[in-house]
Amino acid sequence: MTIWRRTILPALMPLLAVFTAFVVGSAFLFITDIENLKHFPGDPLGTILAGLANIGKAYSAMVIGAFGVPAKVAAAMSSSDPKVIAGAIRPITETLVASSPLIFTGLAVAISFRTGVFNIGVEGQFILGAMGATVAVLVFRDVPKPLLLILAMVIGTLSGALWGFIPGFLKARTGAHEVITTIMLNYVAAQLVLFGLRSEFLKPVGSTLPISKVLSTIVRVPLIFALPAIRLHYGFVMALVMAVLVSWFIFRSTKGFELRAAGFNLMAARYAGINAGGSIMLAMALSGGLAGLGGTLEVLGTVGQMSNDLSSGFGFNAIALALLAGNRPGGVVAAALLFGALRTGGGLMQVKTGIPLDLLFFVQALVIMFVAAPALIRSIYRMKVQNADGVAAQ
Amino acid sequence: MTSVVGAARALEMGEAERRGLQAARIRGAVIALLGVAGLWAARGAFNVAATFSFWLLEQGGAAWSITTTVGMLWLVAGSVAIVVGGLQAGVGARFPWRQSLFVLAPLYVAAILGALLDGKVANMTGVFAGSLELAVPITLGALAGILSERSGMLNIAIEGKFLVGACAGAIAASITDSAVAGVLVAVLCGMAVGYMLAWLGIRHQVDQIIAGVVINIGAIGITNFVFLRVLAKNTWLNTPPTIEKIKIPVLSGIPVVGPLLFSGTPYLYFTLAVVVFLSYMLFRTRWGLRLRASGEKPSAAATVGIDVIRIRYGAMLLAGALAGLAGSYLSLSSAGSFQMGMSAGRGFIALAAVIFGAWNPLGAFGAALMFGFSDAIQSLMSILGVDVPPQLLNSVPYIVTIVVVAGLVGRVRGPAAAGQPYTQG
Repeated sequence: MTIWRRTILPALMPLLAVFTAFVVGSAFLFITDIENLKHFPGDPLGTILAGLANIGKAYSAMVIGAFGVPAKVAAAMSSSDPKVIAGAIRPITETLVASSPLIFTGLAVAISFRTGVFNIGVEGQFILGAMGATVAVLVFRDVPKPLLLILAMVIGTLSGALWGFIPGFLKARTGAHEVITTIMLNYVAAQLVLFGLRSEFLKPVGSTLPISKVLSTIVRVPLIFALPAIRLHYGFVMALVMAVLVSWFIFRSTKGFELRAAGFNLMAARYAGINAGGSIMLAMALSGGLAGLGGTLEVLGTVGQMSNDLSSGFGFNAIALALLAGNRPGGVVAAALLFGALRTGGGLMQVKTGIPLDLLFFVQALVIMFVAAPALIRSIYRMKVQNADGVAAQ
Repeated sequence: MTSVVGAARALEMGEAERRGLQAARIRGAVIALLGVAGLWAARGAFNVAATFSFWLLEQGGAAWSITTTVGMLWLVAGSVAIVVGGLQAGVGARFPWRQSLFVLAPLYVAAILGALLDGKVANMTGVFAGSLELAVPITLGALAGILSERSGMLNIAIEGKFLVGACAGAIAASITDSAVAGVLVAVLCGMAVGYMLAWLGIRHQVDQIIAGVVINIGAIGITNFVFLRVLAKNTWLNTPPTIEKIKIPVLSGIPVVGPLLFSGTPYLYFTLAVVVFLSYMLFRTRWGLRLRASGEKPSAAATVGIDVIRIRYGAMLLAGALAGLAGSYLSLSSAGSFQMGMSAGRGFIALAAVIFGAWNPLGAFGAALMFGFSDAIQSLMSILGVDVPPQLLNSVPYIVTIVVVAGLVGRVRGPAAAGQPYTQG
């Protein structure tokens, strides 16, 4: 009974939310399947069946894209050919590659939400972190490699932290609403990156595109497996370590307690002698720093070159992710793995069936909606509210 | 005892006054320094001509132009700044320095513009007309923001409503072959999204920021999805009839003003009308008072019998309609078809205009004009081949907004209860 209460029930709502979102997404897939719907007047039943089959094909492509083909994995078990092994594990490693930045940005959002501030600016902090790291790598390119990597990570983290600190400072000192300032800073960050990538120092010789010189030839985050075409690097391990650290910080340290207290009730926290302004600034700087480190590892690990579209919505996805995770670091990791799988699997779905990846953004929005409004899910599945603290969201 | 308190108060006031004076002196010194910088820039710039021309009736027709030199522009701007700075430092806190910025800023903008153009002729009627056109969607979006926030609902979903309106409008207009039908559908879809935001925020008490984020992400997802999956292959669904410019008879014949204000799209006329109408409605009618009361102190409003929930739903529907209309402008008037992500952050600039305009329709329109102006200047520069990094001008609205929200130049205050859920007791 306690296991049911403590582990299954809290996970049930998010799972139902994801499931329901996919059902609604499928309905959209069906009604936008114009080619198929053309046959509807003549053969309604056949059309419906064909439509359902198409949806099934799309989702199975997504699962294979995210986790690999079972037969290939089985074959790889008994093979020693690195190519066979790589081919089998590539989808799952790509899922992990896609979830690494999401873990960082998800933790960043979670830590700010816990403190009661809405950091909508994770996207900007992410790309500025990457930008800071890029500049650092090119400036200190002659420094020995391990040192250079650490230096770049520090500078990237600090760049993100600064970009998070600004709205935190403004909120604490002047009361400027952080949602507004972080939204605006996202745009300023994007413009800064575009502006920076115009400079001769950063851009490849003779290029007119908003990209930087190739960084992976100077330094890159070491790979975990030495297999062909496997991009999984130690950034993923760092992401997991960060999740543990953040979890410890939020739930076990004094500072973390203060942050949570400020997030729970700012006035009460102030009354208890907690420096509320300081908590807000700290939370925003930490949040920005996590995002910045995520950006750094993305540019120096996965991509190897800075560009203006380095982040494909990692910062915005993180908001959905943190909510789905109830702002718990463990939940963030789980949700990031799920979203990473969706991204990688969605890629194969797009290639195989032509269904745009953007469907997943819509599904994500539905997920947040269902998580944020649990009453919706409860009414769909006719769930009863058990007791006051039974199914309460969060 | 009373005398002690009195003395303490006097001391306190003296302290506040002293601080005010100090702040005024610093401010004055900064403004005067700007003036000196202006004068310094004037040296050696007297041989560079600055020509601003104004088309009288139509683009390319007869023009009236002012020719001066860049040095002269700097000289005027610099001297005025020195005078203003001196007055500020001398008179102290009572000097209306915020108002004086309205004089100083245009002078400096003109001087900087002249310096950037470096002798080239700038067609200002084009720039101003461009600013107005660019200001239309931003103003409509900002009005939507004002309506919702004044009623107590934080609205960061303007961007999402733009996209939905633009997409739905283009499809509906293409199917029915009627631009008006497209506009109507866009408005209805905007209202539907507005209703959803209200429903999540009011009925389900979802945090209004989260609800806004949900709608933005969902709107981007669904419109991109529809574009890629349906519109890209079926182009007939995305070739709407467009809404053309209409010249208002007589009035469009007024020199300079005619081509600016009376030769635009119906959207422009409608926007101007709504700005005036909403200013009146918000501040001069019972409905407006009730709406503002719901946003400032809903519990107090409820005690005098105002149905806060109803007011908020109404405001959100109206806001959705305006934002949907702005969306239809993007696809049916300025671009002529729906494109992915075509709102390009304008919804957030509209949010900036709400704040910069201090939650006031006229102010928001002014802010939208300013943002439109910085856009128009940018396209003028690229036409004339002046190399200014566009990123710098692009950042202006965002930085200005941060400065204003932080109260660094003239603090503004939003509706007190915006963003807080309200439960009817």
